[in-house]
Amino acid sequence: MHPITTVHYLFLSAALLLVGTIGVLTRRNIVVILMSIELILNAVNINLIAFSRQLGNVNGQVFAIFVITDAAAEAAVGLGILIALFRNKETVNADEVDILKW
Amino acid sequence: MSPSYPEAYFPILLQVGLAVLVAGGVLVTSHLLGRRVRNKTKDSPYECGITPVGDARGRFSVKFYLVAVLFILFDVEVVFLFPWAVVFRELGLFGFFSMLLYMALILAGFFFVWKKGVLDWAKRGR
Amino acid sequence: MLDTALFYIFAALTLGGGVLTITRRSAVHSAIWLITSLLGVAGLYLLQRAEFLAGVQVILYVGGIMVLFLFVIMLVNLDQAAKEKRFSGQKWIALACVAAVALQALWFVSKGAGRFTLGQPSIAGENLGNSEHVSRVLFSQYLLPFELASILLLVAIIGAVVMAKKRI
Repeated sequence: MHPITTVHYLFLSAALLLVGTIGVLTRRNIVVILMSIELILNAVNINLIAFSRQLGNVNGQVFAIFVITDAAAEAAVGLGILIALFRNKETVNADEVDILKW
Repeated sequence: MSPSYPEAYFPILLQVGLAVLVAGGVLVTSHLLGRRVRNKTKDSPYECGITPVGDARGRFSVKFYLVAVLFILFDVEVVFLFPWAVVFRELGLFGFFSMLLYMALILAGFFFVWKKGVLDWAKRGR
Repeated sequence: MLDTALFYIFAALTLGGGVLTITRRSAVHSAIWLITSLLGVAGLYLLQRAEFLAGVQVILYVGGIMVLFLFVIMLVNLDQAAKEKRFSGQKWIALACVAAVALQALWFVSKGAGRFTLGQPSIAGENLGNSEHVSRVLFSQYLLPFELASILLLVAIIGAVVMAKKRI
């Protein structure tokens, strides 16, 4: 077997990013869309960590901590918006919410 | 740093393997050896021994969400507090005051939540 | 050798969990598979000598954010949604994304991949533990982003409460 290099991590990250993008674009359920966004953020983090190790400094890891912080804030506000939407429209499907004002 | 890194985590790997083995083993053995009785009472969901009331998928109150949000945000705060505590001695007074500013901003959010009455679980006569 | 095997195990967990997350019908199943995927990512962090980050990943993502997701799933009662159509009609855009990334990957392999294969990663921090090293960099170079993070969290608290609370 080949030893694991940075390239392996890059390809894993690209694949995970792709999975998340497909989820965001194709699913109707907003909860699953938000979960796909979490997948995308994780793909970014894998990338940051891979380069942090290749370059031999920990700045990438500090960045990853900030990305996780952002993910927490994003999940809190996004799910809050979802709850407000569900209260007003009784739906969690993204394609049923296509008007700006009602 | 030990030269062979994964070996340092071998005990954890062993524990994970043991946990999976025990949990899976219990499930498989009870599936193979257990006697199967099916009736209405047996198939009903277990609710601490009493007869189930209502649907398990009933809606929860939004208060649970608000408490969970507060938990996450203070969880993030602790994630930043921990590295601060690790290097506290090196940072000195400047690090102390920078953390004080950070805490003040987070606590402002906490007081906002408090004044909005999110923390009142039961409705008060207001 | 063990490193390689562990990488493939964690990568399979991550990717398999991700694929199952976006294909399951029930949102609760999606959440459970997302947890699997996130744990796989935590394992990858551990392989990359980022122990502190692995801990943060487990505590914050698996222990915090996923609990929030599960609460919201309980809250909005998705029984109805589980019976409806899962996918919206955007699969052509999604396919275009797949094609774009595949092209990029091909181009990367044909041109630049050789520059990275030599990068046998060095270990950050000589005699320091990982969390100590991370802390030093965080509180020296990244002090301003750290303070900004508190403002972000403040905004997130206010936003979430305003959005979710019925009557303020």
